[in-house]
Amino acid sequence: MASTIIILGGGIIGLSCAYEAAKRGLKVSIIEPGAFGGQASGAAAGMLAPFSENTEQPDHFFQLCYSSLNLFPAWISEIESITGISTEWVQSGSIHVFQHEADLLPIQSRLQWHNEWGARSELVSQAQLRKLEPHITEDAIAGIYTPGESHVFAPKLAIALEAACSKLGIEMISQAGQLEDLKPSAVGGASIRMQNMRKARHADQVVICSGAWASQFEQYLGLSIPIHPIRGQICSYEMQEIEIRHIVFSSQAYWVGKKNDRLVCGASEDVAGFDTTTTERGIQRLVRSSAEWFPFLQDRAVAHQWAGLRPATRDGMPLIGTISGMPGIMMAAGHYRNGILLSPITAKLIGDLLEDKAVRLSLGAFAPSRFTVCL
Amino acid sequence: MSTSSFDDRLVIGGKRLRSRFLFGTGRFPSPAVLQQALSAAEAEVITFAVRRVSLERVEDDSLLQHVLDKELIYLPNTSGARTAEEAVRIAKLARGAGLGNWVKVEISANARTLLPDPIETLKATDMLANDGFVVLPYTSDDPILCSKLEQAGAAAVMPGGSPIGSGLGLLNPYHLGLIIEEAKVPVIIDAGIGSPKDAAEAMELGASGVLANTPVAKALDPILMAQAFRMAIEAGRMARLAGRIPKKRYASASSEEQGSLFGAARPSTAGGQD
Repeated sequence: MASTIIILGGGIIGLSCAYEAAKRGLKVSIIEPGAFGGQASGAAAGMLAPFSENTEQPDHFFQLCYSSLNLFPAWISEIESITGISTEWVQSGSIHVFQHEADLLPIQSRLQWHNEWGARSELVSQAQLRKLEPHITEDAIAGIYTPGESHVFAPKLAIALEAACSKLGIEMISQAGQLEDLKPSAVGGASIRMQNMRKARHADQVVICSGAWASQFEQYLGLSIPIHPIRGQICSYEMQEIEIRHIVFSSQAYWVGKKNDRLVCGASEDVAGFDTTTTERGIQRLVRSSAEWFPFLQDRAVAHQWAGLRPATRDGMPLIGTISGMPGIMMAAGHYRNGILLSPITAKLIGDLLEDKAVRLSLGAFAPSRFTVCL
Repeated sequence: MSTSSFDDRLVIGGKRLRSRFLFGTGRFPSPAVLQQALSAAEAEVITFAVRRVSLERVEDDSLLQHVLDKELIYLPNTSGARTAEEAVRIAKLARGAGLGNWVKVEISANARTLLPDPIETLKATDMLANDGFVVLPYTSDDPILCSKLEQAGAAAVMPGGSPIGSGLGLLNPYHLGLIIEEAKVPVIIDAGIGSPKDAAEAMELGASGVLANTPVAKALDPILMAQAFRMAIEAGRMARLAGRIPKKRYASASSEEQGSLFGAARPSTAGGQD
């Protein structure tokens, strides 16, 4: 079993894994090339919506999301009570809204399997929809209401996790600069060298939690790691009161009312390398979509706009697990749009792997080596 | 050696297409994977559900915004429609939004199988063809129905190999073969394709093209799979043109004895030096 751990990457996944490993009595250092809080994490809308994000079938990814949702309540309250920081968890429920009669057919099979998994989702009529969301456009003809979905304020969650890690005595190293080397060590474990750190560091286990940057490890691991950044642009409006009560999803955008009187609207996804600036086109399509679905937003100015880099993979699933032939290195990256939701389950899985415990979920679908074919 | 200069391009609704691979855009894991898979597919016709796209401003759409820079023919589909009237309404919305006048009629009566409703499909094909659309109906693999769709004005017919997204491949190659034999418009095998071998099989049967979405989008590596599909469709088409050998029950040697080394080593009974 490992006793010293280096977590590489201080986004929500890295912080969660570090926190979990320290709770299990391991000696943990977390090394972040830039600032804690991550590139996708702080920019996220913080939705905990495994049903709305998985509408096709209960595949491995859905089951991972679902397991994580179930861990969330206890996990959140523990982090909040250790740190005294509220993550602004709002159990709002969600509504997926529709404009076309043709949307109703696929809803039937979706509702059936969602409810077999305990979603308690229901199809709501136009009249019911307007009771749930009084400001929604009259063009919305129906919706799916899912009461168990919720949201946290992602930047606060990142801050709380960082504070929780400090409280547990984790060595926190930020601004470490670029990775310069990673190699398995002859004496077991692995060592890493970072640009701004004078000496190479060694640990029994290195856990790569580098999000959209994880593909740079291909050269050190001899694996194909097809993780690529997808820019997600988001904007927000000032809210006087709670004007949108639920998480509302449409085919073009989503809206989430936060506790700090902000209404968040996301997301415009595009392919822009590691560029995190917002674009006129990206934000304006959200603005037009907002005006279309919620006419009261027509005249309201955008208060803030920002973008984050979501680590996407070729098959839409993260890379979580050990790396064959490299006993000192494991990986937890590529969570794309679901990093906030997947934090507790990822941390638990990594914690179990670090302790050599049997892992509850089958990890085959998430194996970091699955994109690498030999012979 | 190059073959003849015969131009083997697929023509639908008077349009000469660069590719026989019709590309479904749903369910891709990220916009980057979609873009790269589409490039690898080298497809010219893409399909998408009208109910999913932003009809107010196509350039704002969460899907179409990622492919605007490519020269493509849009084949909006009416998936989710349960009646001919609904499909017609959806087709008109798409045309009104500037998505062109091609439409894939897709009318399902059963949420579990999503099998096409033959009667409503025929009705919608008739109505839309009369209204100037280039109509490509997704249909059951029924030869009689396919010929009626053709008479109703379908620009191509698109029988399914098996239910949408099932990956079960061509469940009734016999029927598909009959449809292909009798059709005077292109036959595109749509739905149920599981892997490139199914696509090659469809093309060898004589299909004019293949429409695939799920087997590409949900592959472990959709970009590589798109390329594999492109090659399989091309290979199947070439094989169809080249003409496969008939099947025989027993072996027939691929080299004849007379011409073989051992045959030559034996004392010859004829020829040689006198």
